[in-house]
Amino acid sequence: MNTFLQVLANGIMLGSLFAIVAVGLTLIFGIVKVVNFAHGEFLMVGMYLTYVLTTWMGIHPFATVILVAPALFLLGALTQRLLIQPLMSADDDHIQIFATVGLSTALINLALLVFGADIASTPTSGLRTPVEFGPVRFLSGQLVIFVASVAIVLALQIFLSRTQTGRAIRAVAQNRAAAQLMGINVNWIYILTFGIGAACVGVASVLIAPLYPTSSGIGTYFVLTAFVVVVLGGLGSIGGAFAGAMIIGLIDSFAGFYIGSDLREVAVFSVFLVILILKPSGLFSSRLNLSHVSP
Amino acid sequence: MKLSYLLKTTAIALALSAGAAQADVKFGALYPFSGQLALLGEESARGLELAVEEINAAGGIQGEQIVLVRGDAVDNNQAIGEARRLTSLEGVKAIFGTYSSARSIAASQVTELAGIPYFELGAVAEEVTDRGMKYLFRTNPTADDMAKMVVEMVVEKVAAGIGKEPTELKIAIIHEDSSYGTSVAERQNVYAKEAGLNVVTTQAYPAATVDMSSLVLDLKNREVDIVFQTSYQNDSVLFLQQSNEAGFKPSAIIGGGGGYSMQPTADAVGHDVIEGVLDVDFTQYNVNTEYTPGLEQFVQAYQNKYGSAPRSGHSLNNYVGAKVILEALGKASDFEPDTIVETVKSIDIEPGVTAAGYGFKFGENNQNERAEMTGMQWQNGELVTVYPDSAAIVPIKYSE
Repeated sequence: MNTFLQVLANGIMLGSLFAIVAVGLTLIFGIVKVVNFAHGEFLMVGMYLTYVLTTWMGIHPFATVILVAPALFLLGALTQRLLIQPLMSADDDHIQIFATVGLSTALINLALLVFGADIASTPTSGLRTPVEFGPVRFLSGQLVIFVASVAIVLALQIFLSRTQTGRAIRAVAQNRAAAQLMGINVNWIYILTFGIGAACVGVASVLIAPLYPTSSGIGTYFVLTAFVVVVLGGLGSIGGAFAGAMIIGLIDSFAGFYIGSDLREVAVFSVFLVILILKPSGLFSSRLNLSHVSP
Repeated sequence: MKLSYLLKTTAIALALSAGAAQADVKFGALYPFSGQLALLGEESARGLELAVEEINAAGGIQGEQIVLVRGDAVDNNQAIGEARRLTSLEGVKAIFGTYSSARSIAASQVTELAGIPYFELGAVAEEVTDRGMKYLFRTNPTADDMAKMVVEMVVEKVAAGIGKEPTELKIAIIHEDSSYGTSVAERQNVYAKEAGLNVVTTQAYPAATVDMSSLVLDLKNREVDIVFQTSYQNDSVLFLQQSNEAGFKPSAIIGGGGGYSMQPTADAVGHDVIEGVLDVDFTQYNVNTEYTPGLEQFVQAYQNKYGSAPRSGHSLNNYVGAKVILEALGKASDFEPDTIVETVKSIDIEPGVTAAGYGFKFGENNQNERAEMTGMQWQNGELVTVYPDSAAIVPIKYSE
């Protein structure tokens, strides 16, 4: 029974890790309707930034969020304004995808140039301290990630439903043309959303950096799972992304233990396929939203 | 015949022969110089360059200075293209390379077709020589040698050190799922079976993983005594950290090169956590120099040319392989492919003579049968050689 509880705890911790990375992606994917393949690299940039700031200034990694989150916000906003916006009127939607793939490759190689191929380790600053809750054990840093993922999800939900800007964002997601007719500056909303999505990844990177080795490829380790989580939960649904992440985390943990490490990914993607076949728009999306497709 | 005519032709003949004596012999240096493999590709190439410099300073081979032409094997397609360029356009007499098994396998197809010799100095996958090519030779130890030594270390030393019979031990083999991890793990299973060891589980995982906690929990539950892991930096760090935090403390962990040989891994995991962890890999630098004569001179030459200490054992092994081959070619009659093949096949060097320790004799499939890995251990944040006894500088430390 203890083992079962430990596997469950591992799954929840893994799920909250995926949730905190994916929540920014679902915002971008769901609202700007852009497949941002550079999402993992935003995480990598944030992690390297955290590493550099922590080692140079000798401060606690969490304190760097004051600089990292705004820096990532800027990165996201600039990506939308300079890379995506000029391509939005392109005939083929796929062009935006290629642009983000190009950005991803450029960022990975920039990291290789600046930091080299060896891993970089942000000082753990006590975040790898094991914490015991009865029969179950996890790290203090993991607990922080869990709490933070719940907090971010709630904060975003409140922002989107209770504030005027949030409502504007949702309006643009529902029907871009109608939102424009209502006087919403769609381009600014896109820039803001991309920025907020990237800032969320910035927060995630600050929390993850003390727990995982940073390398130029770290983004690629997370990005595929992040997309699975986002699609599973339903595009643009913040709560759905959280639920999707938890499901994936639990499946990964249970399959890894009870079936075998080799078949973890098989289990995760099989469940993903089955859910999509039964409910193509994802678990928490009410209907397939095609308002971004031009007539 | 007029005297002036005689003088002119003699002068021309002298000038021509002098020019021929200054002619250089070109060899290709095909490594990944850019891209993801660049760090160790460049490191490997440095070994070759140092060997060439040393031999040129001593007069070159067959009276000619060696010129290295670089080819960048940034990916498999590029490797093939560069091999073609080196053989047809540059006209190299042979190609040295290549660190990555995948690049080597791709590029050597070109050279075999062209009938140009290919000397692999660092790639470990069995497939490189398993294809039975006529013009390809490999000087370094392979994944098979790595697996053999891991099992040997357990049977000869580690079992007794932790107070158990080899057959009593519960062994887990875990590995990253690309060709590197899979081939080493496969050979480990074969040798473990031969030695009568009890392998309770063999599990693969993607190298790009972010979590190994379920694997750690599984091994902990099975009460595994020894873990064999074949992994890169990211997964080595994850496994060692997460095992430590989950309270999983096997009697021994033996890595198969990769992340386990690298200082950044030790720094990331923490010197106290990695203390005592064992590793089998190419000869590195904290080794008994009676077994590896010339090692200190090599390190000094590296320091002088590149301004820092060698970053891994790859440069050393490429240096040794290149030096042995080139010195042998120096005694040959010409640089024709078949002459080169015949000369290299007749090389016979005993262990304890080269700077990497192992000897040279090419056997079946042109693999150097005397090539060996060494066993090492992390002690006080440094990787030191502990096995075989002739190469060890300190004995193996066991945990209580």
